Amino acid sequence: MDLTPRPASEAAAPKARNRRKMLSVGLLLFVLLAGILVVSKFLTQSLDYYCNVDEVGQKDGCEAGRRLRIQGVVDKGSITTDNGVTSFNLTFNKVTVPVVYDSGEPGGLFQQCIPVVVHGVMKSGTFEGDDVEVKHSNEYDEKNKNRVATADAEAAACSQSK
Amino acid sequence: MATTDIETPATAVGARAGTGTLFTRFVGLATIVGMAALGVFGLLLSPPDVQQSDSVRILYIHVGTVWVAYVAFAFTALASAAYLWKRTTSLAWDRFAGASAEIGVLFMALTLVAGSLWGRLSWGKFWVWDARVTSTAFMFVTYVGYLAVRGLGGSHHQRARRSAVVALLAVLEIPLVHFSVKLWRGLHQDSSVADRTNVNLHGLMLFSLFISVIAFTLLYVWLLMHRQRVLAMQDAIDNTGLDYALRQRRDEGDL
Repeated sequence: MDLTPRPASEAAAPKARNRRKMLSVGLLLFVLLAGILVVSKFLTQSLDYYCNVDEVGQKDGCEAGRRLRIQGVVDKGSITTDNGVTSFNLTFNKVTVPVVYDSGEPGGLFQQCIPVVVHGVMKSGTFEGDDVEVKHSNEYDEKNKNRVATADAEAAACSQSK
Repeated sequence: MATTDIETPATAVGARAGTGTLFTRFVGLATIVGMAALGVFGLLLSPPDVQQSDSVRILYIHVGTVWVAYVAFAFTALASAAYLWKRTTSLAWDRFAGASAEIGVLFMALTLVAGSLWGRLSWGKFWVWDARVTSTAFMFVTYVGYLAVRGLGGSHHQRARRSAVVALLAVLEIPLVHFSVKLWRGLHQDSSVADRTNVNLHGLMLFSLFISVIAFTLLYVWLLMHRQRVLAMQDAIDNTGLDYALRQRRDEGDL
């Protein structure tokens, strides 16, 4: 009986299996790190309390002077842009605050009568924002189906949080 | 000589070359028809949205793919439970679970990419650490981890037991992801089709969404059938490789 070691070609299969195993261990470590990163990012962001406009200065955690994320609807006709500074009024539950955002035009669907979330700090009655995110609704309807219906929808969106 | 009738890994696979059957071809054809219909309704017949204009069409990819990811992960959990159930322990359940999870990961990646592009157009950002987005990313990472656990080595039954436990834990994330928009305040909108009496979609948009769900589900079924047969072949290669080595040694002993 031949007891000499197997040639390299026949030992290839276990080698491939080992390589697959090492790859899996590496992937598992990567996944662990990615999971930690995802959770820590979420928790870090959560440090800025998420408040509706009417809760600023009223609810615990929503004090003026600390970093907040405030949510409200952009008032109709309130958007002005001057030298890269966008100003608008934000309303929620009949409470309005003026917002200044000094990083140019907010992106996405930013426009009047749309709900937005602004990151920043409330100083002397004005919310100084450094980040604006548009929060679109879960309602979808045909564009230009009928101009009256579109105007009604816009009016409804604008008055939704007032 | 005894070695002449030994089944090598190559002949084992060759004996059942291909993973297609009449049924897979039928499902494949139905998938092509479904995807073509989705293209026509999603890109041509459904109207642009009053606020989002044409970017709303990403909805038909985003919702269809996340639906498949949820279904795939749920089936991974069910098949894992079937494997662990008393003395069932059939590796066919394990391969079904593995194949389903692989497809789920692929579709969840597509959901994240489509959502990110849609986020740029509507929110103004590719990514936000909102509860729904974060929990979806976390679920994606968890199932990549599940696939890594499947590759850690050991026997097929060791692989099956280990990964089944992970799958049964990971599936608990589905309700967390789904209800995250209600549990936390965030940017991601709530469901547009809460129930039959609460539908916030224009008729043709809803129909396009329905076609999207059907087409992506067919694609899932087609991929699942092929993939679990490929995994069966891989297991067969491992087994026949081992049998081959053992029988070769025995034959050598007989000489």
